[in-house]
Amino acid sequence: MRYLTGGVLIRVDRLTQAAGPELAISWKISNGGKTITFKLREGIHFSDGSPFSADDVAYTMQLLMDPSVHSPTGDSFRSDEGKVETRVPAPNRIAITFPAPIAGLDKLFDQVAIMSAKSPKKEMAVLGPYYVAEYKAGSYVQLQRNPNYWRHDAAGRQLPYIDSVHLDIQQNRDTEMLRLVRGEIDFISSLDAEYFDKVTSQNPALAHDAGVSLDSEQMWFNQVKNSPLPGYKKAWFASTSFRRAVSEAINREDLARIVFHGHAQPAVGPISPANKFWFNAKLQAHPFDQKSALRRLAQEGFQLRDGVLRDRDGHTVEFSVITNAGNKYRERMATMVQQDLAEIGIKLNIVTLDFPSLIERITRTFDYEACLLGLFNNDLDPNSQMNVWLSSAENHQWNPSQKTPQTEWEAEIDKLMRAQASTLDDKKRKSYVDKMQEIAWEQEPFIYLVNRNALSAISASLRNAHPVVLRPQVYWNIDELSVGGEVARKH
Amino acid sequence: MKRAGVLQLGQHVGKIVLIVLLGGTLGAALVRFSPGFGVDERELDSRLNEQSIRALRQRQVEENNFAVFYVHYLGRLLRGDLGMSRTFERPVSELLKERFPETAKSVGLSLALAWTLGFSLAILAVMSRHWTIDLGASLLAGLLMCLPAAAMALLFVLARAPARLVLALVVLPQIFRYSRNLLARSAAQPHVLMAQAKGLNTLRIFFCHILLPVAPQVLALAGISVSLALTAAIPVEALCDLPGIGQLAWKAALARDLPLLVNLTMIVTLVTLLANSACDLLGQRFRGHAA
Repeated sequence: MRYLTGGVLIRVDRLTQAAGPELAISWKISNGGKTITFKLREGIHFSDGSPFSADDVAYTMQLLMDPSVHSPTGDSFRSDEGKVETRVPAPNRIAITFPAPIAGLDKLFDQVAIMSAKSPKKEMAVLGPYYVAEYKAGSYVQLQRNPNYWRHDAAGRQLPYIDSVHLDIQQNRDTEMLRLVRGEIDFISSLDAEYFDKVTSQNPALAHDAGVSLDSEQMWFNQVKNSPLPGYKKAWFASTSFRRAVSEAINREDLARIVFHGHAQPAVGPISPANKFWFNAKLQAHPFDQKSALRRLAQEGFQLRDGVLRDRDGHTVEFSVITNAGNKYRERMATMVQQDLAEIGIKLNIVTLDFPSLIERITRTFDYEACLLGLFNNDLDPNSQMNVWLSSAENHQWNPSQKTPQTEWEAEIDKLMRAQASTLDDKKRKSYVDKMQEIAWEQEPFIYLVNRNALSAISASLRNAHPVVLRPQVYWNIDELSVGGEVARKH
Repeated sequence: MKRAGVLQLGQHVGKIVLIVLLGGTLGAALVRFSPGFGVDERELDSRLNEQSIRALRQRQVEENNFAVFYVHYLGRLLRGDLGMSRTFERPVSELLKERFPETAKSVGLSLALAWTLGFSLAILAVMSRHWTIDLGASLLAGLLMCLPAAAMALLFVLARAPARLVLALVVLPQIFRYSRNLLARSAAQPHVLMAQAKGLNTLRIFFCHILLPVAPQVLALAGISVSLALTAAIPVEALCDLPGIGQLAWKAALARDLPLLVNLTMIVTLVTLLANSACDLLGQRFRGHAA
């Protein structure tokens, strides 16, 4: 919703993935990457009529960086301890200085919706194409066209073309599909593969597959040292050969073909091929090779006898994987992984838990053996994954909050991630991130399974829609969309 | 006499308050000790740093000790503050105010429909004394009883029918079955059979000798039907995207939203008790008349 209402200084073009001017006409990064200076557009007003100036940007930054707020966007700007300083030399100029250099600083402003410092309507006064006219928590949001929106088309007509947007928070996918087919809603973003095929069979013109997205599905083993698992299982999970063998025994092509009806592709690593700049194109998805998997296991002392794999101490190789209940794609993936692993004598038990219970296990009690989950990525910059890859981070899921890195390769990844975060040269950063991806590919703390495609369904009445892989996939060009009745309704 | 009545009413109100508080305590205890309590999905957001994740966890410290939470909650309740919903990040009172009319409308409409249809069918089945009508109505009620509320809700969505009417179909078979049995037993009393044999007015027989003696039980059934409709509203509203209390309860349960769930438990308990008490009081008056 923020994309539809919030005005930002810089917008990352969802098609080209490049940063472009929005409320800022130009910007300059200086002071070794610590300072960013913006020149702002003039004569712009918020939806309630209050004028926009550099004071609003300063106010927004002050709110965003308030330590008590703890917003994910604010955290992306926190490179070090210390205060963020703003200087307003003129109403259309502002310089923002951070305590330490931030790599990819300009693109982070794509997420910062500017708020009015003076408007009595506070955050309800917006600079984006729409403002919130009505809101019912957990049910719907009614947006109305911002009468003061600054953008105009080539003919001088004020944008956006659509007068109002009704966002329905729909719980039930079947109902949602039915409403689309009946023409009650105009588009559905992030469609499931099964529903995508249903739409295709009913009316192929409605279905859009934008290609592989940034989202990934992965599985990992619990490597937490003080977890309540038996020692021999901890030893299996800590073994790179074991993880690589499990990875090689999984047929990713089949997962993409059967579970996602072909609307996914085997995943390579932490960065999806959809991320044009940061993906390491030298890497390929791990091949499906059960013989190689058995060879790796044999080198570690595992033996396959009578269809059952045992470790060197005679323990039968059996473990459970937890995933979130109700997510049929993950449940099906787990079933297919179970069948693949049975081929090399590993017994996999599938446990489905509701989401809060699953989070409790992977973040608090560590009472689990393996977990199958997805990662939704909205950000292209690898900095957004810092809290996953740093060994000291809470979201370093296979073994979080380590005081010192427990393996050499984790120490190396820590070094690379810190190095890329403190360098402003994109080429250098890319080389560090490439190396990080290679280590992740080699060590497989996460066994990446597939990257889903960005699927959507768009009614014929919605014109100029060109879905892309980055969120918001369908309405990234909301300014240019139009409908017959000029009202778009969306889930 | 008047004083005794006031005392009795006071006792009744006290009993309701006590049960509502007990319901709230049990609700709070169940949520607090359910797996996954106190976790926040946002903890998995890779953009959040360590301090933010710790802050998210810290927010729920008060709720960890459910006794402390409940005492604080009751203190706030006396000041008219129902607390904040963690899931929606809005005051619970606002959410209830927004959503209660939707559920009240659904429950009210469905009860009116279910009672009109169910009770009419029961009267028809008993008074006609025709086995085909009785069998047909019983089969219909049996079929509706076998269909889960969720399946009916989806069928209604497919058929573009108003989904809130599903609640009527959930309550209808219960009303039909119980009221039919009550009326049939009453209609089989020797004095009723004698009156019919003597050719007394059918309407008079029905109202004075069949319905009046079972009125307290029928009224008790009315009380129960309110809680039946309220319970069915949870899956129906969640599946059909009806923005009422049921959908709120569903979301709150999935997110282990303690403040919201405690309030909802107490409201459902209160509505059920009030409906039952009202029916009890009316039933007592009928008993007096019948005596």
